[in-house]
Amino acid sequence: MEMDLVINVRRDTAVPIIDLAGELDAYTSARFREAMIDLIEAGAASLIISMMKVEYIDSSGLGALVGGLKRSSEHGGKIVIVCDNPQIRKVFEITGLEKVFPLFEDEKDAVNVLTRRDTSAG
Amino acid sequence: MSDAEVELGQDIITVPEEFALRDEVRWLKSEDRDLFSFIRESMNKIEPAYLSTYPPSECGIATFCKDLATSVAKYTPFSKPTVIAVKREHEIEPYERVVRFQILKEDRQSYIDAARYVNDSSIDIVSVQHEYGIFGGPDGEYVLDFLEALEKPAVATLHTVLHSPSPNQRRITQEMARLCDVLVVMVKTGRQILLDSYNVDPSKITIIPHGVPNVHRVSAGKVKRALGLADNQILSTFGLINRGKGIENVIKAMPRILERYPNAIYLVLGETHPGVRKHEGESYRNMLTELISELGLEHNVRFNNRFLTLNELVRYLCATDVYITPYLNKDQISSGTLAYALGCGKATLSTPYLYAEEVLADGRGILIEFNSPDSIADHVIRVLSDSKLRESLESAAYRYARRAAWFNVAVSYLDLFDRVMRRSRVVKQVPV
Repeated sequence: MEMDLVINVRRDTAVPIIDLAGELDAYTSARFREAMIDLIEAGAASLIISMMKVEYIDSSGLGALVGGLKRSSEHGGKIVIVCDNPQIRKVFEITGLEKVFPLFEDEKDAVNVLTRRDTSAG
Repeated sequence: MSDAEVELGQDIITVPEEFALRDEVRWLKSEDRDLFSFIRESMNKIEPAYLSTYPPSECGIATFCKDLATSVAKYTPFSKPTVIAVKREHEIEPYERVVRFQILKEDRQSYIDAARYVNDSSIDIVSVQHEYGIFGGPDGEYVLDFLEALEKPAVATLHTVLHSPSPNQRRITQEMARLCDVLVVMVKTGRQILLDSYNVDPSKITIIPHGVPNVHRVSAGKVKRALGLADNQILSTFGLINRGKGIENVIKAMPRILERYPNAIYLVLGETHPGVRKHEGESYRNMLTELISELGLEHNVRFNNRFLTLNELVRYLCATDVYITPYLNKDQISSGTLAYALGCGKATLSTPYLYAEEVLADGRGILIEFNSPDSIADHVIRVLSDSKLRESLESAAYRYARRAAWFNVAVSYLDLFDRVMRRSRVVKQVPV
């Protein structure tokens, strides 16, 4: 197989970051969903999904995100996306899901928003 | 043996279902009402209607329409797609529920009734799948009655763009350009012909490639091993069979190919086009069968004479070493079968019809001469004997076609629908 999805988890920031590289589609979205749920069940309410290296996303990738958000919101959390690829951003914009999953071009901004929110919530 | 069915394993390659967003949202409805409501309010609702032939009608445009409608719907879980199916009179088609209105091809009034149905509905925009032959009247001109009566925005995907149209064909295309907000073509060449031969306003033309299934690449060797064909070189052509396919030229090339590769097999996948069968029965296929007997190729040319499911098709394509479209019509401006072969990352040979010339450029495939068994044999042998060349063709084809995976094409259409609807709303708000 070519252009599979590489998933890497970083826990060295205030909010865990899942780095994705490759294609988030019907072949790969189940693994991504598992990665999100593992982190949430391990205690991370909110997640940052970095799609800076994602080449394509399909509706099953969006479905996995919605599934992750359900788990996250049960713990009072949020899921935000970091992405500067116009093609990927277009998918969120055209579906309206950018209102559900806030998009950031800069990872620091995403971390700041979530940590501010978590602090004020606490 | 030439009519022998080629049975391929069922579990080797399967194109995965991709309805997760719709499923997740449906699941949320019972599990988390608040989040469900939030997502429902946030997501865009675009209700498209598609005017086209539709399965179970067996025609390339029907398949295209179903693939497009299904792919777009995956991104819009709160919208209800509608298909207005054009069918031949007296045919009773067991359509899916998405077909909410039927047009009788030769009944002019039913085109106007269909437009009124759309006008009175919550449908936002109509996507017309156009080919002269699928609509009623001379050169399918009844489609203009539908567009004239329509009060909603419309875009038309042109599956045929003729270089030298008849006066009536030119008039129909120009009228469509006037009545539709946008004309979609699948390659740059189509755009150029619309500009040169039809004087279409360039701002009304958009290029969106022909969609292909989402297939992650696997080597032909791996699939062939699983199918017990590891020792065979597989050549294939698929689609609805008719005289324009030029399959006889590949059959005539086989003796030379077999001198070098005695285990090579040429698979001809697909049934005779129903429209062709109606007029001339199986005479073309019978001619091919006779040719096979004459040349003693019974073990090396095989037919699978039926309409294939997507998974069957993908399995055959994945087992293919060299895919060939030996078509005879220089003006052909789209080919679903060639697009699918590229989507599966196949080394492809094709005659230089307009669509093939463009999509196989820059090392994505090899062009062969029209009506030339020698040219086919030369290049098949070249590709089979040069693994580096084959790998290079496969990689280039796959990379190029990924952008045309249906999930990407659906986003392009949704974006187009959205832009046209916004523009239409603005125009309506401007006082006359």
